Amino acid sequence: MEKKMVLVPAGKYLPFFITKSNKPIAVDSFLMDETAVTNAEFLEFVIANKNWSRSNVNRLFADTNYLKYWASDYNIGIKNFQLINSPVVYVSWFAADAYCKWKRKRLPTVAEWELAGSALPKNIKIQSLTEYILSWYNKPNLPVLPNIKSTYCNEYGLFDMHGLVWEWTFNFNSYISSGDSRDTANDEKNLFCAAGSINVNDRKDYAAFLRFSYRGSLKGNYCIANLGFRCAKNFK
Amino acid sequence: MKKILLSVFILTVLFSCSPKQNAPVDDKTKSCCKPATDSTAKTISTNSIFILNDTFETQNNKPVQLALLQGKPTVLAMIFTHCTYACPRLAHDMISIAEQLGANRDNLNMVMVSFDSERDNPAALKKFADENKLDAEWILLHGSEQAVRTLSVLLNVQFEKDAEGNFSHSNIITVLDKNGVLKFQKEGLNAQHDETVAVIEKLLGEE
Repeated sequence: MEKKMVLVPAGKYLPFFITKSNKPIAVDSFLMDETAVTNAEFLEFVIANKNWSRSNVNRLFADTNYLKYWASDYNIGIKNFQLINSPVVYVSWFAADAYCKWKRKRLPTVAEWELAGSALPKNIKIQSLTEYILSWYNKPNLPVLPNIKSTYCNEYGLFDMHGLVWEWTFNFNSYISSGDSRDTANDEKNLFCAAGSINVNDRKDYAAFLRFSYRGSLKGNYCIANLGFRCAKNFK
Repeated sequence: MKKILLSVFILTVLFSCSPKQNAPVDDKTKSCCKPATDSTAKTISTNSIFILNDTFETQNNKPVQLALLQGKPTVLAMIFTHCTYACPRLAHDMISIAEQLGANRDNLNMVMVSFDSERDNPAALKKFADENKLDAEWILLHGSEQAVRTLSVLLNVQFEKDAEGNFSHSNIITVLDKNGVLKFQKEGLNAQHDETVAVIEKLLGEE
């Protein structure tokens, strides 16, 4: 069965980090998967594309944690029953990108993801989205990742945008860090074009700060707990 | 020979696609595991960035894949030509590395890949090459958004496009060996190139 996609209407997204122009980015209407990609769905992909199985995958494209909780290459294992409808995690950006291409889709951009994720829940009552997200960040991981559609549905009809897993975006590597572990004697301006103007647009949005910092700490072949993805598609 | 056999074996594994195991194989599944037909692909080692099979265009409008760089070490930077502050400086860093290498320059690929899929078409790259007096040996590449993003992810180069179409990006010079394996990266502008040049000269010595 094809995964349901929902329409996210065109909108504007003000980048979290202030850029030179600091103008909102116009986002065209697009389609987004209703939920994150599940283990069952990802298993189909791996079976159809053996080069993405755990033992065949190229280390450039996925580190050794790739799908590490599966029992074997083509078997989710004894937790199968609980996990089959849970988001697939421990997948790299390259794997997520390949999955979406296989589905004739693509990963959403940061702007698209943030626009989609900013819509408020329609089936639960919350004080504010930021507080909801922060309380999720504070909760310890559950022993088994809950199923999709176990948190909330937002105004666009998208499930679990916050509260279940973090998600890969197409341009996750666009966060400009200050060169943390690097040569501190180096002027920041020499490391990044326009680095002198780095600042954030909404200092109160600590949840977004964490999300952007998290994205900035990733590399394309990282496979991590709680990091899954969903796909998007242009809307013509 | 052993190495070649191993590479061939690994490639077979990588690109193997056994449709018999999955009844409905439509175009969708095929597109993802198309075997590499290019003859050069046979010797690509698994940790080589030449494994990316996206097509780029040179400043002379020639479609190429990264595997074309095979055979010589490569010095590579990602840039965009409309940049007013740091980018020409990164290009100048590339040029001074080439100068420092002297005659050795001919034994390697000097490559600049543009982030700007929209504006840096082959003509714009040609103009940039002329303005900076880059000879025909330089390879300037234009690629699709997808191709450029994939390469940046692989090389850990961060970049972001703003609403006006300009880019913020990290300034990184990458050295690959003749097989496309990442050997060295230097971050920052106006960096001392001695270390970079030493790595390149060592690679050239291993020929």
